[in-house]
Amino acid sequence: MPPISRRPLNRRTLLGGLFAAASVPALSACSGGITSLNGDGGGGSGGGSSKGGVTIGTANFTENQVLGYLYAAALDAAGVKTTVRPNLGTREILIPALRGGDVDLLPEYQGALLHYLDPKAKATEEGEMQNALAVALPRGLQILPYGEAEDSDAFVVTRETADEYGLTSLADLARHNGKLVIGAAPEVKKRTVGAVGLKDVYGVEFKEFKSLDSSGPLVKGALKKGDVDVANLFTTDTDIAANDWVVLTDPKNLIPGQHVVPLVADRKADSTVRKALARLGAALTTEHLTELNRLVDKERKDPEDVANDWAAKHGITKNEKD
Amino acid sequence: MSVDWSWIADHTDDLTTLTVNHLQAALSAVFFGLLISLPLAVLAHRVRPLRGLLLGLSNILFTIPSIAVFVLLLPVSGLTRTTTVTGLTIYTLVVLLRNTVEGLDSVPQKTKEAAKAMGTKPLRALLTVELPLALPVIMAGVRIATVMSISLVSVATYIGDGGLGQLFTDGFQRDFPTPVIAGVVLTLLLALVADALLVAVQYVLTPWNRRRREA
Amino acid sequence: MFELFKDLGAWLVDGDQWAGQDGIGHRLTEHLQYSLLATLVAAVIALPIGLLIGHTGRGAFVAINLASFGRALPTVGLVVLVFLASGLSMWPVYVALVALAVPAIVTNTYAGMSAVDPEVRDAARGQGMRGHQVLFQVELPLALPLVMTGLRLALIQVVATATIAAYVSFGGLGRYVFDGLAQRDLVQVLGGAVLVALVAVVLDLALSGLQRALFRHRPAKSA
Repeated sequence: MPPISRRPLNRRTLLGGLFAAASVPALSACSGGITSLNGDGGGGSGGGSSKGGVTIGTANFTENQVLGYLYAAALDAAGVKTTVRPNLGTREILIPALRGGDVDLLPEYQGALLHYLDPKAKATEEGEMQNALAVALPRGLQILPYGEAEDSDAFVVTRETADEYGLTSLADLARHNGKLVIGAAPEVKKRTVGAVGLKDVYGVEFKEFKSLDSSGPLVKGALKKGDVDVANLFTTDTDIAANDWVVLTDPKNLIPGQHVVPLVADRKADSTVRKALARLGAALTTEHLTELNRLVDKERKDPEDVANDWAAKHGITKNEKD
Repeated sequence: MSVDWSWIADHTDDLTTLTVNHLQAALSAVFFGLLISLPLAVLAHRVRPLRGLLLGLSNILFTIPSIAVFVLLLPVSGLTRTTTVTGLTIYTLVVLLRNTVEGLDSVPQKTKEAAKAMGTKPLRALLTVELPLALPVIMAGVRIATVMSISLVSVATYIGDGGLGQLFTDGFQRDFPTPVIAGVVLTLLLALVADALLVAVQYVLTPWNRRRREA
Repeated sequence: MFELFKDLGAWLVDGDQWAGQDGIGHRLTEHLQYSLLATLVAAVIALPIGLLIGHTGRGAFVAINLASFGRALPTVGLVVLVFLASGLSMWPVYVALVALAVPAIVTNTYAGMSAVDPEVRDAARGQGMRGHQVLFQVELPLALPLVMTGLRLALIQVVATATIAAYVSFGGLGRYVFDGLAQRDLVQVLGGAVLVALVAVVLDLALSGLQRALFRHRPAKSA
């Protein structure tokens, strides 16, 4: 299915439009950011309520949409009204939106989230990261228990490139400093689990950083074409195996564990939400997630449909559709 | 690049939702654009020195890439419909403002003087004489602004909105032309229908033009 | 907001920001290259069409409607569509930019031609001028102001829209906008936007200067 925003179109949007006009003069007066709007965080844990419904925001790659619809399926089954907003952008865009109240819940990834909040974070083990996340999170946000499924960042080369340059690990890249081109989503240029960490931890310097997308058509197309030598992909991407691409090993543990973890605003975090997402997290494995990705990306199934089918099959929801 | 008709058949509801959503964004933008440009245009028409300033300003706004406008609005209005509508409204201004000023300019001086001589108050003259006579030119601007907005809405897909534009992102991510083709065709149809409707509105609103043409 | 503009100043004058692959110098050159080439190609396609329609008076209805149809084409959709058909190349960018520029040039060229006084045209014919002589020596010079308006309008739109090249992995000033969006670096986005606007304004002024230079050779006749 096309990613559809299911917000009602009626009065709210009309009012939104009115506000639009009002916000034009406000432009010149504004100095803060959306972070300054973070007033309704609830101040600490507990006290949230999902009664008014939960808006799930998802990032600009298909797996995150699948996860968003899985969350929606689990919450719907628990009687929580949900709205999924697909393709909102990167973590850099989503977290301010979560704090500002545009969305309430994000399917996140442990390590990447931790490094976004604290670029110097050292934790790599799941439990440690969970604790570190709890500390690093800004007021008003909380993480729930992490799930079984994991989707890590991988730095990938083609078989030919691996042979030509003798590459098996990230450390090998430093032997070819200034020669190789890396392709990744634009935000990866500034991320620890990305160009910054590769330089700091492995001493790797690339000839060029090419801004592409998140394990999407651009980065994979560029790797196939040879426009980039190294590509940042997701480990749950079935194209890695299908193309016999080589995932470079990470002997110094630059890339942290990336278990899927729900990040929720305090205002919506009640026991219903916690329980429903914990059940989902325990049931969804990495293999499941990889298969769901394949169904969406390769078989062109709707993220919402594959999520609902999976949820029904695994006892998350009652089997509604036959 | 073939169209997967079964996908289209399976997604008529979604396509309808997106189309309505798309149209709503575009029309809101034109509505607010008019709301802003009408008083500004009257001002620019009456106060000559302001004219160049206002028109020049709207021209410069037009040169800013729309995607940048949406992103720069994020700190103000976040990932909301408001951001989309505000961004689009800015782009309608260039056309609406220019056409409204030109429309007011096109009202013959004699007509205005006649209204004055008959003791019509300035505001009343504006509302009952000048604006109606300027209507054809204003409506031409409204038509252009509407079509332009309909084609621009999809840019907001980069901030998670964008009506039919969401189909473009979806098709792009999954190497799937069908949603993209559906999105392009529906956008064109929407523009075509909206334009035709505006022609009809104009026909109804300016009966004097009709009579003159028939005569 | 003030903070943002202060940071923008720092961003623009930072020497590092101007050097290298991702430097402003390089991105500016790319942006100019995409915009000028696309507008040139569009002009090569659109000018003859506009002139022909204006000269013969035939096909005007179709052309004008096609042009407004073209205005409705969603650029993002067109870029994605061509990307899916052609893969990772500059084709999506150029096709979309040319498609954007052609309608503006055709409509304005046609408008300029149709504004030529029929009596002037008849007088030229009466003096024994051939069709192509009437077109190039009488109609075109008279239509030139509007033709130039069309070109300028097209160029401004193309410059603003060439930003989209960055969406399909290429360069230009759009790189700053899309990277800035992904990194939520608003200074970078604003920097890109301001540079694009600046390029558009400068090119527009250059074209209007050219237009004025072209006119100086002929007695100003049109009222």
